[in-house]
Amino acid sequence: MIHVVTKEEIEHVAKLMRIDIDDIDEYFEKIQKVLNYFDSLDKVDIESEEISTHEISVNELRDDKHVPFESKLISSLKTYKEDYIRAPKMN
Amino acid sequence: MIGLEIHCQLTRLESKLFCSCKADYREFSTNINICPVCIGLPGTLPRLNQKAVEKATTIALALNCQTPKKIAFFRKNYFYPDLPKNFQITQLNLYGPTSIGEKGKISIEGKDIRIRRIQLEEDPGRLIYEGVSERTQITLVDYNRAGTPLVEIVTEPDFDSPRQVRLFLGILSDLLENLGVSDPTLEGAMRADANVSIDGGPRVEIKNIGSFYDLEKAIHFELTRQESLKSRDIAISQETRHWDDKRKITIASRSKEEDEDYRYILEGDIPWVVLDSQSVEKWRRNMPEGISSKKERYVRDYGIPTQVADVLSSDKYYSDLFEQAHNKSNAKEIANIITTDLMGLIDTREKREQSKITSKHLADLVELVNSGKVTRTSAKNALQEIVKTGKSVSEIVSQTGLGKISDEVELGKIIDEVIKEETSAVQQAKDNPQTINYLVGKVMQKTKGNADPATTLRIFKDKISS
Amino acid sequence: MSLAVSAIEYIDNVKNGNITAEEFTAKTLEQISKHDSSLHAYLLVNDNALEQARLVDKKIKAKEKVGAFYGMPISIKDNICVKGGKTTCASKMLQNFVAPYDATVVSNLKSEDAVLIGKTNLDEFAMGVTTEFSAFGPSRNPWNPDYVPGGSSGGSAVSVSALECVASLGSDTGGSVRNPASFCSVVGLKPTYGLVSRYGLVSYANSIEQIGPLGRRVEDVALVLNHISGKDVNDNTTVENHNTDYLSEIDAGIKGKKIGIISEMSKGEGLDKNVENAFWKSVSVFEGLGAKVEEISLDLVKFTVATYYVLTTAEAGSNLSRYDNLRYGYDMDVEGYEFKSYISKARKNFGREVTRRMILGGFVPSAGFAGKYLLKALKVKSKLKKEISKAFSKFDFLISPTVPILPFKFGEKMRDPLAMYLADINTVTANLTGIPAISVPFEIHNGLPIGVQIHANTLQEKHLLQAAYSLQSMTKIPRVPL
Repeated sequence: MIHVVTKEEIEHVAKLMRIDIDDIDEYFEKIQKVLNYFDSLDKVDIESEEISTHEISVNELRDDKHVPFESKLISSLKTYKEDYIRAPKMN
Repeated sequence: MIGLEIHCQLTRLESKLFCSCKADYREFSTNINICPVCIGLPGTLPRLNQKAVEKATTIALALNCQTPKKIAFFRKNYFYPDLPKNFQITQLNLYGPTSIGEKGKISIEGKDIRIRRIQLEEDPGRLIYEGVSERTQITLVDYNRAGTPLVEIVTEPDFDSPRQVRLFLGILSDLLENLGVSDPTLEGAMRADANVSIDGGPRVEIKNIGSFYDLEKAIHFELTRQESLKSRDIAISQETRHWDDKRKITIASRSKEEDEDYRYILEGDIPWVVLDSQSVEKWRRNMPEGISSKKERYVRDYGIPTQVADVLSSDKYYSDLFEQAHNKSNAKEIANIITTDLMGLIDTREKREQSKITSKHLADLVELVNSGKVTRTSAKNALQEIVKTGKSVSEIVSQTGLGKISDEVELGKIIDEVIKEETSAVQQAKDNPQTINYLVGKVMQKTKGNADPATTLRIFKDKISS
Repeated sequence: MSLAVSAIEYIDNVKNGNITAEEFTAKTLEQISKHDSSLHAYLLVNDNALEQARLVDKKIKAKEKVGAFYGMPISIKDNICVKGGKTTCASKMLQNFVAPYDATVVSNLKSEDAVLIGKTNLDEFAMGVTTEFSAFGPSRNPWNPDYVPGGSSGGSAVSVSALECVASLGSDTGGSVRNPASFCSVVGLKPTYGLVSRYGLVSYANSIEQIGPLGRRVEDVALVLNHISGKDVNDNTTVENHNTDYLSEIDAGIKGKKIGIISEMSKGEGLDKNVENAFWKSVSVFEGLGAKVEEISLDLVKFTVATYYVLTTAEAGSNLSRYDNLRYGYDMDVEGYEFKSYISKARKNFGREVTRRMILGGFVPSAGFAGKYLLKALKVKSKLKKEISKAFSKFDFLISPTVPILPFKFGEKMRDPLAMYLADINTVTANLTGIPAISVPFEIHNGLPIGVQIHANTLQEKHLLQAAYSLQSMTKIPRVPL
């Protein structure tokens, strides 16, 4: 089924991705073109396909040990007083 | 109809779910318990904790869930400052059953509560709001908790009442503690959200509930609110509401959480983990004995009364003490002294942590009581000292003269004292033999409980009747 | 001694005392200062490189145990973390990011006494085929500076081609090592998915990408692979390399081997005629070397670009979510902003191509579209893997031109992203199926390089390198015109 994507849908997704686009028209055309290209996948017969997976055995998983990081990591990040990370206010 | 979504931290693990920082973050000052992985620095990759998979599986088994052949992890994508990668690694059943457990159940008072699914996931960091005025407000973030292993348990909406919810949470807490995966009394170790609907109507989710006490209140409030709307023929909207702790009400969520689209994708950095039957069986065999099984055993093998067995088996700390202290002959008394005297004495987590009592103390104490050397009351008093100082029972006996006083001459002296002091009671006792118990009590007081009650009573009777 | 030596020659010369590590590093640094202001392969030249080389010389003199590389200058693509240094991913979002840890491959090279000479340019966050999307300016093809060097590991390919280092580490998500290797006439390998640790590689499409070595000779690439491959505790997706020595018996030849030409990649209207001609010449070479060559049709190839971009944009959208400028990034104070508006403003520092891909990446897994795009692409990927496995039951190797077109001029493909994406048509299959693939320089046509691509089955790098070495032995490429 061909879906023709709308500007509103693209704006909605951009918002979800926390992306601020000034010139929606420029993006719109190119994104629409690519999405239409993705529709070509409809032609593949994949009804009975299972998705393939990489596997790992439980024995290969990490041992449960506390190993502190070698240095004071917070000093290399952007911090605020008393070593908090500072973020804008939440609504 | 009420359903729950419970988040339990696996506080008894050593390390976080995807890195080697400490699982229990509470002792650290701000942003110390972090590393490039849990902070989500560019280029870092998650490394799954083997024990977390094991412990989560035992929770699934304890809740009678089905476990899949392979488990997978997914990313729940959304932006929030407490989420270092702006996605949470969690589990879903998007491509078949891939979360650690599903379709389980637990019984409370004969009612089956079905478990929809159990998933392993990481806890986000913690937010603090700062700033005085609207304009200067900023958020402060501490990532010590980010990456702490969580097991999320989602139930079907099978609960009939807030009371049932409370019972369930109590049973669940005990179960998790008994499994040795979590200490539910730690602050924030267990959190729950609820969903509430009436008469098959739309489901309302309640979030932001701080404690289990509040949960019961919140559910109760929400049920009332919905009933009220219904009785006035007003439609109930399906929505998410927040519990307002100050006003003790649920309020409609301003942030349009239902608009959030989590754009779930598989977590490409963690291959699907094969839960081979050998490993699962090994974990199952190593699981600690279940609470109900313990309870049955206590009743059956040691003749411990059902009530006592109930209390004892559901508390891991005490049942551990009991298991180590008892033998065939003293089991009943050990159980008794724990449930009657000890539990009241060390009733908070701090007191337990500071307590110096061991199973040997209990065994020794009960031995002395059984052999008649010490009265039951003296033993109770001795407990305080043992808990505080950890001194051996023999030390305490010699130091505080805890031995029973059955010497008739010595007792006689004390009894005479009491008779002199309590003249009216003595008069009463002549007519009303029951009053003698009061006088015996006085002797017990004076001897700090060390007087032998039987002897004391006899001497009193003799002296009074004469 | 010429800078154009192979890694093996370099190491022999240092071992024999014909040259010191310091001398060679100094010469390399001279080459960089001479050419890099125009070629722009490097975003950062390591001002500690000479000192690193001196330390190696000290070890050699003291007859201590010296690592395999003997102070050989190796460049690192700037999306791979080197401790204490900037790792920008050619993006303004990370212009001030200093990594507090080494990528596993970097630790491995350091412990084998390589000299890390600098960080190379790329398309922003490895999304692109030309380095034109770098926030700090493109790199130029040393064969003709008006032409693109390929991408996204363009800087790596240029640094090797222009003799500004002996080998380089790039990353390949959809051809990003092989494509620039082909355009710059060097060797570029994408290993089997999981063979090389990704710990420290800034993620773009984590279920598909691999770090891959580039060098002037096939044996150089094999040498580097020896020291960067194998299981890593820091990366759950790595697999065993069973201590394979990829260099030994590299000259075993390909007599009796069965080689399949992937029709869809080697014929047709999408293919430049000159590339096609060159490729079919290579087919004769393979036959002359004793291999049996025939065509095979892989029907799903025509869907691979769409599949690739659905999956990689979805992963990219998620992988790049962490860049909200709160914990690291660049200076922009949070005061006065509300959370959503701050993040959106901060993320304006992404380039247009990255922005485009993140929006696409928000679409394809979103509610209402996930079944249509994401799930479908995952299933096509599975089907493709089966088709490839079937092909390898008949053939030892599969070949094609690396890129269907010749290197092109700057700006040519910028207007149409789809046209640009289709440049990947020959390379994405290896990424989607996880199999190893290598690009070997084959011909220079009118001054522009053409490479030939060889694929082998999962974890068959040893055989793959033997086939590449055989082709190389019959190929004479002129010197780079610097």
